[in-house]
Amino acid sequence: MSDALIFQPKAGKPAPPSTLGVVGWVRGNLVSSLPNAALTLLGAYIVYAFFSAVIGWAIVDAVWEAQNRRECLDLVGRAGACWPGVKAWIPNLIYGLYPKDQVWRINAGFLVLVLWAVPLFLPWVRSKVMIGLGLVLLYPLLASYFFHGGDKGLVWGALIALGLTGFLWSWLTAIAEARREAPLLEGRRRWILLAGLYAVSLLVVSQWVLDEVQTRLWGGLFLTLVISGFGITVSLPAGILLALGRRSRMPLIAAVSTTFIELFRSVPLITVLFMFNTMLPLFLPAGVEVNRLLRAIVAVCLFSSAYMAEIVRGGLQAIPKGQYEAAAAVGLGFWQSTSLIVLPQALRIMIPSIVGSFIGLFKDTTLVSIIGLFDLLSMARAVGEDTVWLGLFIEPFFFVTMIYFVFCFSMSQYSFHLEARLGAGQRR
Amino acid sequence: MSSTIDPRLLRAPPKKGLRLSWADERFRAIVWQVLIVSAIVFVIWWLVRNTQHNLEVRRIATGFGFLGREAGLPIGESLISYTPRDTYLRALTVGVLNTLNVAVVGVVLATIFGTVIGIARLSKNWLVGRIATIYVEVIRDVPLLLQLLFWYTILQSLPGPRQAINPATGVFLSNRGLKLPFFHWESAHTAAFGAFVIGCVALWFVAKQLRAKQYADGQPRALWPWALGLLLGLPIAVWLVLGAPFTTDIPALRGFNFSGGLNVSPEYFALLIGLVTYTAGFIAEIVRAGILAVHQGQWEAAQALGLHRGQVLNRIVLPQALRVIVPPMTSQFLNLTKNSSLAVAIGYQDIVSIANTTLNQTGQAIEGIAIIMGVYLTISLSISLFMNWYNARITLVER
Repeated sequence: MSDALIFQPKAGKPAPPSTLGVVGWVRGNLVSSLPNAALTLLGAYIVYAFFSAVIGWAIVDAVWEAQNRRECLDLVGRAGACWPGVKAWIPNLIYGLYPKDQVWRINAGFLVLVLWAVPLFLPWVRSKVMIGLGLVLLYPLLASYFFHGGDKGLVWGALIALGLTGFLWSWLTAIAEARREAPLLEGRRRWILLAGLYAVSLLVVSQWVLDEVQTRLWGGLFLTLVISGFGITVSLPAGILLALGRRSRMPLIAAVSTTFIELFRSVPLITVLFMFNTMLPLFLPAGVEVNRLLRAIVAVCLFSSAYMAEIVRGGLQAIPKGQYEAAAAVGLGFWQSTSLIVLPQALRIMIPSIVGSFIGLFKDTTLVSIIGLFDLLSMARAVGEDTVWLGLFIEPFFFVTMIYFVFCFSMSQYSFHLEARLGAGQRR
Repeated sequence: MSSTIDPRLLRAPPKKGLRLSWADERFRAIVWQVLIVSAIVFVIWWLVRNTQHNLEVRRIATGFGFLGREAGLPIGESLISYTPRDTYLRALTVGVLNTLNVAVVGVVLATIFGTVIGIARLSKNWLVGRIATIYVEVIRDVPLLLQLLFWYTILQSLPGPRQAINPATGVFLSNRGLKLPFFHWESAHTAAFGAFVIGCVALWFVAKQLRAKQYADGQPRALWPWALGLLLGLPIAVWLVLGAPFTTDIPALRGFNFSGGLNVSPEYFALLIGLVTYTAGFIAEIVRAGILAVHQGQWEAAQALGLHRGQVLNRIVLPQALRVIVPPMTSQFLNLTKNSSLAVAIGYQDIVSIANTTLNQTGQAIEGIAIIMGVYLTISLSISLFMNWYNARITLVER
């Protein structure tokens, strides 16, 4: 049948111009209805008011060159920021009261940290776990001499040499693995090499003399990083042990862990800091002096371990029972099944919360300023108490706010990245 | 028919007797526990012995006897009457009440503000969503102590009382804090407030009755006339019966400071703003996650059943979202309460601040710390008990 009615669709009309491009986006997202348009106006007003006030204060009306605060006030009053005070204090904000001619040691110490961490990001390095563990365990030994210096006894000298050996060994491993000469570092040869490296390190360390810088001179961003670094490296392993203890079938161990966790989680950190600050001298035998920094570090570590323990417990609970049973069925013992099967899976789930906890810890280090340590926040407060810059508080606060924000924000962004990379196996 | 049973199953299970061997799991467990517990006991014994020795050397008497002594420490603001001549016990009570004051008001305001931000972040309006996102990201990544000091400095740098900012009649904002108009509180107001509480309880019973009737015959019954009568009518009636006293108390500038009205001190105000804005950032994320956790299909299914928007939200979406929201919200409330201890940095006299002064004046370090810890343990446990009870009420009852 030639005259059959054949359905001929009309050519599709183009989408109405009001739904396309910029116009469409604006109509859809900003002014889709009357209340929505009102909200947009309100939002735009808030954004405008906020940014014009902040930019006007911090940039447009700000003073950049002045000798003291009086000059700033004479120039613009309180309408603009007075940045010269902050600029003059930047070295103090970063290094605290650390002697100016010794500041290079802090820089060198952090440079070693960065260099040590580099192999962790090189794609061809296979022994990343070993290097990472070495970094966490041995770097503090090496850094302690960089930062503190002074008279090293026999034991401390040996420990510093151990730190140096760890650093050299990490790079040796990385280079050997890059040149596919890993067998070079295996068997008996490895131990001979290690012993040789250690001997060289001992020799270097014995010749290495740095002046002592007492911890009461430590301060600024440097001190904040030291305290939070300690807190982060101690709280994760301690938290894992506490969480395992709390889930343990041994009733006494579970009871001890639970008491510890609940006790520390139900009181504020400032109380724990006060407690260690005032009570540690009472607890220890007469004559034993523990410096303030150590007291604060111990308090921060114990406190954050309790929080970390609850996060790890959550992660452990999320692992199905079948995983434990399967691990037992292939003959793995408790520690093997925990470290090889359960924890790697649990840690991946926990990354966001763990990093969240690290960020919290980093922010909480500000509390040590209340017990008289000169961290970044105390140094910012000290600017306004300097006679030259008397009353200059808001500007340094603004400046350190940005420092804290940059650190915390990059940590959280890195955690997203890590989560996405490690979660590759979960994606379809 | 003996062939149906596997002969291996007939063998007796291995004996359960405890063997004194490292290969026996239970033996190992006992050894470990004995070792760890004795180590802990030893450390505690050592610490206690050192402490006793140190206290003897420093001639510090232990015990809570100092609580009855005259405190002599001035306290800026308190909910109960207090003078420096009162005892330490009363001073510490003032501190606890101050902590509770800022915590309760903070929790209520942070919940409201956080919910608004959380919903704004989900808004279809691009600009509103972006503003909420930036707010949450920035506020959560800056230390609370820094924010508190920031607010406190700003409040301190406001003009003095004579040049106070006066946005509305009777409202003054100066470096002495915020002054609000109020009315003279009399016994009739207390009675009216009591009537309001009774009205709340009565309304709860009425709502239960009405729901039972609706379940019986399917007819929905309006609750709002009851709510209006019990929550507004009853207190107003009580107030009118008692003579309707009402005298306004508007703050006015006298000399160098204000008199009258309700006074919000700069310390309290800074602490409250800091705690509320900070905690709201976290609550916003919890609320957002809770709302996102309810599947879109739930909205559609409820609408398909003919429920209107309010009913969908009340009966379908909120009950499911709350299950996700309540546990993390509990820990935020606890955090806010614990964070209120940062008051010590800006001079608001909460329990930590007062106990710390007490500790410095009397030298009773152990007792002072024990009191602070006891107070926070009690508050934390009460909040978590209440929230656990509430959580148990709203959790999904599964088979």
